Amino acid sequence: MDPNPTISSLSEAEFASLVSTIAADPARRNELTELLHEDHSIYDERGAATAVRMRGWLLHTLSQVGVSDEALVFILEELDTGTDPYLVAAAARAVRSYSKPSSALAPFVMRAISNIRYRDEPVSFDEYGEYVDDSSGTSPVRELLATLAWLGSNARVVLPDLESIKAQPHGLSKKRLVDLERTLEAIRGAGEETESCCELPRGLKDKFSWGLKSRRSCDPIESTVFEDQNNEAVTFGEFFCGQPSIAVFFYTRCDNPLKCSLTVTKLARIQNLLSERGLANQINTAAITYDPEFDMPERIRGYGQNRGVRLDSRNRMLRAQNGIESIRRHFKLGVNFIESLVNRHRVEVYILDAKGQIASVFERIHWNEQEVVDRAIEVLNETQQDASEAPEKPVANRKTSSPIFGALASVALAFFPKCPICWAAYLSFFGIAGLDRIPYSPWLQPMLATAMLINLASVWLRARATGRMIAFYLVSAGALIIIASKLGNGWEGLAMWGVGLTLTGSVLSALGVRRKRSVDVHA
Amino acid sequence: MTTKRKATKKSKAQRPRSARAAMSVATSENQVVKERVAAMAEVPLLVCESDKDLQKVLEVLRNQDEPIEVRLAALQSLQAASFSVIAFESCRGDYIATLRKVATDPNAEMRQRVLGILAREKDGFAIKKLLDGLKNPDKALVPPEKALQLLSYDIHAEAYPVARAIINKPPNEDAKREALRLLAADAKSAPVFEKLLRDKNETAEIRQVSAAALQALKPDSLQENARAILLDDSDYDEIRATSLTAVTQFGDEESVSKDETLKKHVSRMSTKGGAKVKRGARQFMSKYGK
Repeated sequence: MDPNPTISSLSEAEFASLVSTIAADPARRNELTELLHEDHSIYDERGAATAVRMRGWLLHTLSQVGVSDEALVFILEELDTGTDPYLVAAAARAVRSYSKPSSALAPFVMRAISNIRYRDEPVSFDEYGEYVDDSSGTSPVRELLATLAWLGSNARVVLPDLESIKAQPHGLSKKRLVDLERTLEAIRGAGEETESCCELPRGLKDKFSWGLKSRRSCDPIESTVFEDQNNEAVTFGEFFCGQPSIAVFFYTRCDNPLKCSLTVTKLARIQNLLSERGLANQINTAAITYDPEFDMPERIRGYGQNRGVRLDSRNRMLRAQNGIESIRRHFKLGVNFIESLVNRHRVEVYILDAKGQIASVFERIHWNEQEVVDRAIEVLNETQQDASEAPEKPVANRKTSSPIFGALASVALAFFPKCPICWAAYLSFFGIAGLDRIPYSPWLQPMLATAMLINLASVWLRARATGRMIAFYLVSAGALIIIASKLGNGWEGLAMWGVGLTLTGSVLSALGVRRKRSVDVHA
Repeated sequence: MTTKRKATKKSKAQRPRSARAAMSVATSENQVVKERVAAMAEVPLLVCESDKDLQKVLEVLRNQDEPIEVRLAALQSLQAASFSVIAFESCRGDYIATLRKVATDPNAEMRQRVLGILAREKDGFAIKKLLDGLKNPDKALVPPEKALQLLSYDIHAEAYPVARAIINKPPNEDAKREALRLLAADAKSAPVFEKLLRDKNETAEIRQVSAAALQALKPDSLQENARAILLDDSDYDEIRATSLTAVTQFGDEESVSKDETLKKHVSRMSTKGGAKVKRGARQFMSKYGK
């Protein structure tokens, strides 16, 4: 995010002037790349068409001053997923000012030709925001073919694809066929390829996906409430903590079929891969909408179902009930908005560990489903390793200590003496232990009642997590009976029943959690 | 012999002309307008076959000295050809460039139709022109209601703030209605629709648009407001009929079937009020009456 608050209020003409100033100063050129980040405040409250003009101009400027590895990331993203003629043409031009032509770039350019060839509209880079209304400009396919020609022998790998387009009756327009011939000649005449095809260099590949060793806690968003496809509320902590998850972002009104629609379709493929490997119960999946105000449960449900996504308690489509802002900050999402509407976003997938922390990121270009699953399995193995290395007893103790203390509070409340005389009688019974000097403390009673209610709430939470409600019902019945025993004269005898039910429910609740943990870790 | 010659002549006249001949008539300034318009309807399949033919038709479209009927027919012919996306690919660039040129044509109908085609393509040039026209009426290429209608083809067109401004100070009732239709996809506008739906001083059409928008944006609110309208005997028949439809078709069946107050009210409506209200009430009662 840019620290300068005034940058978001620049007019488009001022923006164009700023870009020229930055481009003219070699020491500031990396700022051009900074301005390409979707979440930069320069795009706040701009329409999608304005964002296209601004980003296109930035890419065009990069094509004049040179492209770094950092900037190439944005350029390849545009070639991989772009559907706007102006942006794709600008990206194609920018590639040609990258200092290391590589065969790894050719498939990106070829993919862009396939994506944009039926929207090969005239574009111009003569002036900022110019739209062509004659045949004087260039076009995305023309620029892409020029880039393949520039790649020369490095584009040999796409020769069969180009030949195939040439052979198709309506493969390209007649004007573009001339450009295609020129490109084919340039590639064929450029000699042999010098490097192996077509893996991105390691350094560049790591800019599209990486794992995080040092992970940020999810505390700031743990209580964020989502609503799922069935109108069920679930907090971030409830869904994402406990086992690893794969989370993708989307919104139903996205009009780029290569982004949200494809992302959610690929999530369905990920679910299938997880099922094939018997991991469907150990790794959750979620698709979270950027547009929670519009994407109501029935909309996200339909969107997921139409793309083959399996939806159940472990696989959910989610909308943040109170807006996307906290989620956006936590994940540092590559998205920006005009009001509540997305004006630009990147493709992004996150793998979260069992603590809900971001463990791995895939962004900008299309991710391979198998790679995402493999990375998620690595995270799952970490979790299992942690679980096996962690001393079993303390964990169990921590998990069971809460119901035991709660149950004890209920017992204490049940037998709490009504008056100082009863207190004296109780203590005289314990006189041998020297307890008879403890003064009567009526304030203890509400405290114990509060502790009992806290116990009731914690048993309810555990029951919800494990899906076994019997413990909660027993503890609730116990609590009601204890309260009744305190209210009515002659009902004191009921207290024993209340204590019995509370103890049984609390023990069941503690055992339930331990059994669930054991199943999850060793499944 | 004479009869035979006549028959041959007749069959020649009736024989459908080739697309090439139609192209020649359509693009010739020497032909009568009616003939040219008819010929234009026959050329879509040919228009992209050769660059020469394409340029001829585009020139007719661009040329302001050509009769407007012929130019509009040329536009229609190009539009028909563009439906064959793959076959039209080679013409697309020149077609879009020409449409942008013609978008500022002196003829209002031509401007409106061309901007409509470009807006459906989510063309940045058209969106910019339409927005500029709404912000500065002196630059407007089409009336505000039409501009709003065309902008609604692209939800990303940054038209919401302009539409809200128009609702606050509408140049005419049509523009207000179109602004509301556009905002029906804007989640932030739900409170505006809630207010308009309950405002008895608004026209039935505006209130009905508001009801439809709420169904999309905040269905629970529509149900609450529809119920309140149905319980208010002083409200108008059109909006009560709309509310009946909303509750009958989209209401939560469990809660509506338990709502005895509402059921009593609607039951009375099935014998009172206008035909639409009675019909709606009967539909409601057939679903929830038992």
